[in-house]
Amino acid sequence: MTLSISGLSKTYPNGTRALKGISLDVPPGMFGLLGRNGAGKSTLMRILATLQEPDEGTIRLGDLDVIRQKEQVRETLGYLPQSFGFHPRVRAERLLEHFAVLKGLGDAAPRREVVEALLRRTNLWDVRHQRVGTFSGGMRQRLGVAIALLGNPKLIIVDEPTAGLDPEERVRFLNLLSEIGEASAVILSTHIVEDVEELCSNLAIIDRGEILLAGSPAHVIANIRGRIWRRSVAREELPALEQEHAVISTKLLAGQTIAHVYAEEPPGGGFEPVEPDLKDVYFAVMGGHSGARAAA
Amino acid sequence: MRFGEVFRYEFAYRLRSISTWIYAGVLLLIGFYIIHVAVSGTNPIQVNSPQDLAEKTVLLCGLFGILVTAGLFADAVIRDRTAGMDALLFTTRIRPAEYLGGRFLAALAINSILVFAIPIGLAVGTKMPYLPREAFGPNRLAAYLQPMLLFALPNLVLIGAILFTIAALTRKVIPVYLAAIAIFLGYLVAAGAWSGITNPLLSALADPLGMNALKGMTQYWTASERNTRLIGFPPMLLWNRLLWVAIAAALFAVLQRTFRFTQRNERRRRDEQVDAPRAAVPQRPSGAVPQLRGIFGSRTRMRQTLAVTRQSLGEAVSGRAFPVAFLAAIGLVVLWGWNVGETIFETITWPVTHLVAAIVMTEPAFVIPWLVIALYAGELVWKDRETGAAQIADAAPVRTSVVLLGRFLALVGLIVLFQLAFLIGGILLQVLHGYYDFEPGLYLRILFGWNLAEHVLLAAFAMTVHVLVNHKYVGHAVVLLVTISSSSASSGFHHLLIYNAGPKLVYSEMNGFGPFVTPFVWFKLYWAAWALLLGVVTMLFWVRGPELGIRQRLATARARLTGRTARLAGLAIVLILGFGGFIFYNTNVLNTYLPAEKAGLPQAEYERRYARYADLPQPAIGGAEVLYEIDPDAPAVDARGSYRLVNQTGVPIRSVHVDSPSGRDYEVRSMTFDRASKTEVDDAEHGYRIFALDRALAPGESMKFSFDLAFRPRGFRHGGAQTLVVRNGSYFDRRLLPFIGYQPGFELSHEGERKSYGLPPRRPLPGPGDAAAGRYWSPFRSGDRIHVETIVGTAADQTPVVPGMLRRSWTENPSTGSGQASRRYVHYASRVPENFAASVFSAKYAVAKGRWKDVALEIFHHPPHRANLDRMMSGMQSALGYYTSAFGPYPYREMRIIEVPPYSIHGRAFPSAVGFAELNFINRHEPGLVDLTFFGTAHEVAHQWWGGQVRPAYAKGRGFVSESLANYSAMLVTEKVLGPVEAQRVYDYQMNRYLQQRGETGKDVPLLHVDDHPHVSYGKGAVALYTLREHIGTEAVNGALRRFLEKYRGSGPPYPTSLDLYAELRAATPPSHYPLLTDLFETMTLWDVKTQSAAARRLPDGSYEVTLEVLAQKLRADGTGVETPTPMNDSIEVGVFTSGKSAPISLTRQRIRTGKQTLRIIVPQQPSLAGVDPNRKLIERERGDNAVEVETGG
Repeated sequence: MTLSISGLSKTYPNGTRALKGISLDVPPGMFGLLGRNGAGKSTLMRILATLQEPDEGTIRLGDLDVIRQKEQVRETLGYLPQSFGFHPRVRAERLLEHFAVLKGLGDAAPRREVVEALLRRTNLWDVRHQRVGTFSGGMRQRLGVAIALLGNPKLIIVDEPTAGLDPEERVRFLNLLSEIGEASAVILSTHIVEDVEELCSNLAIIDRGEILLAGSPAHVIANIRGRIWRRSVAREELPALEQEHAVISTKLLAGQTIAHVYAEEPPGGGFEPVEPDLKDVYFAVMGGHSGARAAA
Repeated sequence: MRFGEVFRYEFAYRLRSISTWIYAGVLLLIGFYIIHVAVSGTNPIQVNSPQDLAEKTVLLCGLFGILVTAGLFADAVIRDRTAGMDALLFTTRIRPAEYLGGRFLAALAINSILVFAIPIGLAVGTKMPYLPREAFGPNRLAAYLQPMLLFALPNLVLIGAILFTIAALTRKVIPVYLAAIAIFLGYLVAAGAWSGITNPLLSALADPLGMNALKGMTQYWTASERNTRLIGFPPMLLWNRLLWVAIAAALFAVLQRTFRFTQRNERRRRDEQVDAPRAAVPQRPSGAVPQLRGIFGSRTRMRQTLAVTRQSLGEAVSGRAFPVAFLAAIGLVVLWGWNVGETIFETITWPVTHLVAAIVMTEPAFVIPWLVIALYAGELVWKDRETGAAQIADAAPVRTSVVLLGRFLALVGLIVLFQLAFLIGGILLQVLHGYYDFEPGLYLRILFGWNLAEHVLLAAFAMTVHVLVNHKYVGHAVVLLVTISSSSASSGFHHLLIYNAGPKLVYSEMNGFGPFVTPFVWFKLYWAAWALLLGVVTMLFWVRGPELGIRQRLATARARLTGRTARLAGLAIVLILGFGGFIFYNTNVLNTYLPAEKAGLPQAEYERRYARYADLPQPAIGGAEVLYEIDPDAPAVDARGSYRLVNQTGVPIRSVHVDSPSGRDYEVRSMTFDRASKTEVDDAEHGYRIFALDRALAPGESMKFSFDLAFRPRGFRHGGAQTLVVRNGSYFDRRLLPFIGYQPGFELSHEGERKSYGLPPRRPLPGPGDAAAGRYWSPFRSGDRIHVETIVGTAADQTPVVPGMLRRSWTENPSTGSGQASRRYVHYASRVPENFAASVFSAKYAVAKGRWKDVALEIFHHPPHRANLDRMMSGMQSALGYYTSAFGPYPYREMRIIEVPPYSIHGRAFPSAVGFAELNFINRHEPGLVDLTFFGTAHEVAHQWWGGQVRPAYAKGRGFVSESLANYSAMLVTEKVLGPVEAQRVYDYQMNRYLQQRGETGKDVPLLHVDDHPHVSYGKGAVALYTLREHIGTEAVNGALRRFLEKYRGSGPPYPTSLDLYAELRAATPPSHYPLLTDLFETMTLWDVKTQSAAARRLPDGSYEVTLEVLAQKLRADGTGVETPTPMNDSIEVGVFTSGKSAPISLTRQRIRTGKQTLRIIVPQQPSLAGVDPNRKLIERERGDNAVEVETGG
């Protein structure tokens, strides 16, 4: 089932324009929505999750009008919000049971089967009798995914799921997501490029309410291949370098500052070509050297 | 430094919060509103009298202020946690004392400012130009400020400290609110106990809020004192305030020591939680998840609803507040109900189920469910959003209506649980009192029927408010305030206009909820339809997803108003119109509805049209025959009968004026005379008819007047049900039958009301010395004693009773196949001519029989009401025995007590009978308490002499002849049968009743002129006659009464007045006691004696000389309580007591003069206590200083 968004706009009462006429097609599989904090990711995700009304634009999920047919959309939706909580005194299994009923799993026996399978799948089986108030961040996140997966959703929306997880938890969580992605359309919003790099078959970069770039990772990387260069630079030289070249990112490596610059022609001056990765794409796009902003 | 910063931060934050100003506005409105409630026409105590202002301030700050206080103080410590700022704060260099102190003082400062909204509201209220000016005195700043300084602010410190401590330790809102209400309720409950503390110092200090101390201080204040005297700053109150503020400080110090800057366990535990074992778990957990898709339909929606209910209910019940609140509810019922049925004389009734259940039906106890509903409605609306669970749940495929319904059912479940707590509390209370007849069916009907309906409708309202207001604390406040104010404001409007309003239920053990059920149910259905509409509104505005501004919420609501929702709203509106229409048809079409301010209109119109006929010569009723046919099931009664009308005037009578009840329930089928007549006026609306006789009724001539009437109520009324004819326990009287001539007794009597209808002030009752005083014996001019024949027919399973002699009783069985039920008939006749009372009783009675000499004694009672029969029987026997020997013979051959439901009368005497309400049958007698059943019986039996054989003139002082004498007689019987200690108990009660009521009503008159002042006629009358007896002896007083009886028995007109009785008393009093007569009967005299010191000296012969320093004065009061000293030289008891004995070792009468004096008494033993008037027999406001401990010196 394809999700297609067109002309989506949202302005908050305080004047913030969160979305400025966004259009986007999301094919089945994992879709990464990449952008920094405040880019409009969560607004878009909430609108997709039927919790907010856009001012303009349409969203279609297969035959469904997401904005008007909220109830039907919810029946096939799994949503893991950016920040959420649980009633602290409930036990994990009970909570999952509860949501299973809410998601229309009426008959007790199959419901219990689903709940058990999901608890095992999310590695929460051993703690199913614990109160969720005692859970760690990762456990809560996995419980959230289990809830999102209830009822075999066709559209899964996962908003910044890896923020605050330790590296190990993050890996485990991404594994879990990758398995889901095989069956449904999963939209993963994040500001961590690696999340998308490792998981997604498609991605979009969003900033200040606009989609700057969309496509498959391979495709977008191919687009900037041969235009990213690097050299190591002393800290005090950096301002001068930024004057001269389009520096898209700097990072520290073993005490040395490595600068990546965008240039269609070899910039010379000690720069060497780099095989670009998604991070370079992201920074190039955010820097306005590639994608929608560059075209404009 | 840091402390100041915390204070400033909190103070500024609060000032900027909109909720602060909403609280202030609400308090202001309450003050403003209370003034309007307090204004009544003719109260001599001004609405803004210092004492009233003090009580209002203390009460309002206590009742409403405490809710605001709870909100403010809870927020001051809990906000950090809910906002997640606690971690940042607690890790700074701030110390607990600075944090807590700053927050507490800031909240206190804000709250102190806020509560000033109350006096401002009060003051603004008094200035409203449309209120009658005479209700107000001058506004004095001190009268507003003193109660604030003396009560409101110190109480704020104390309550604030308690609530703040609870908030700081639990960091939860609900316990704070529960504690707030527990403080308030507990205070009210405990207030009863303080009056039992006899030590005045302890009593004044023990009261944490000072309300009792205030009441105690002012209880005997007269109207003029209340109007003019400021509360001031009495030292005892200041000590009280100081003590409790110190206790608050101590509490705060303890909190400061126990409080730790830690986060609460859940979060701490979560952080400590070791994650699930990692190594053992494979990276890819085995087992595929079954691909099960949700199914959506009505079955699923039902399951979802129940799941939401289960989840929300489980969440609420598993919270820490719930068990506390649950136990508190049980405890409160027990505490509150401990003195259940406490009536007069501090006696109590058995804790019968309907009385116990009534505790949880009355408004003060309703506060518990109100609070539970308001708080948990808030929790149910907010919990998901606060925990963040809403983020996930909102996107679940669940209809908003399902979520709402599920939460609502959870709230209903909570209410049911609390009703269960009430049930447990009620049964516990009964068991503790040794009462085991639980009547579970009645509990179920009250708690899970009526009350549940009431609360569930309120719950719907509360949830709607919380959703619409969208601010938790303000939501709580709005729900509670709207609920409380609408429950008090509902009287002025049609019940259809005030949410959840409706007629009240009145329970009778004889008749159950009887006629009250039908209107109650219809009104609840009507409000249920409104609740449905509220549900739709709630659905439209339910926040799903992120918070939005008002404009967007409105837009969302409009978008949600689609097909299904709109149809539901339509259904609700149809139901509202349907039920409302049906109710309106009943209350306003079948019956007449008049708003409260117009209720007296028909009476006013009656007077306006026909008062000019008041003195028209009219025939008197010389004899009557009436046949009543009662249909208890309809219910209805038909009355056919005739009067023999006699012209006792000196002029021919050409037209006869007939009064009959007005209204649509009442139908006059015919009224005819045995001579030709024309109907000149036929005013059914005001129940007035004028018949012109073709041939005038000559002086001394008689004629027959026949009538055929029907009382057939239709539908139900707006204000309560008719209770004259009911399924079981009908009681009606003369007022259902025609009266002859205009009756001033039907006129409006309340002066303020008369004024509002433009009627002139009522003609005052004649004074006892006026020439016309003895003309009538009743406000109704229905003639003298006559012979009456009465036949009553009723359902076969009921026993009809009429006071008088039973001639015959029979059952009529209809011919088989006619389909009619058989009926029971009785035929009663008067043995001797008697007052035409026409009282009829009919119920399923059991009869207890007894005998006193040749008088048959019968008690017609509700079959289960057997507990007090013996004492009633012995009361009748003792009373008949004493009165016949002391006053004169009893004229009848029977004496009956007849039980009635508690609808109209409590106790009333009829010729040869007494009507007693149910309460008299469930009184409990306990050692140490007045035997009310015995005393009440003796009192009513005494009316067979006073009021029966002697009928006082309808003039001022009539209560002295009837009620004072009946009370005095009953006291003598009590003393004779139950002993002097019991008599003293009754005496104390009567004294207190007089002194307290004269202050509270602001009215006092001399006994000889007593009008509608029960505290004077019953209370002071008994005290005065009893005191006279102490001075001149029983035989002298009783002899005077006997002579009075002999002189006036059956006489009139002219009927005897209080002066005629007084003349007999005076004739029996030696002249040396004439000043006492003047003090007791002609004036309002108060004594003030005080024993300043008592010292004893051992004499050589082993006896002791006691020296008393005594201060005395005597005061004469006027009608408003302004007192002026008058010279005193009275014979007053002086007593000396020794330790361990209640009987005095010396009790003598000594002359006590105005001013300071020294008394010397020789006693044989070592004295311990001595003083003037030690048994507190003088009419005196301060009776605690009469006796003091004796200091024994060398």
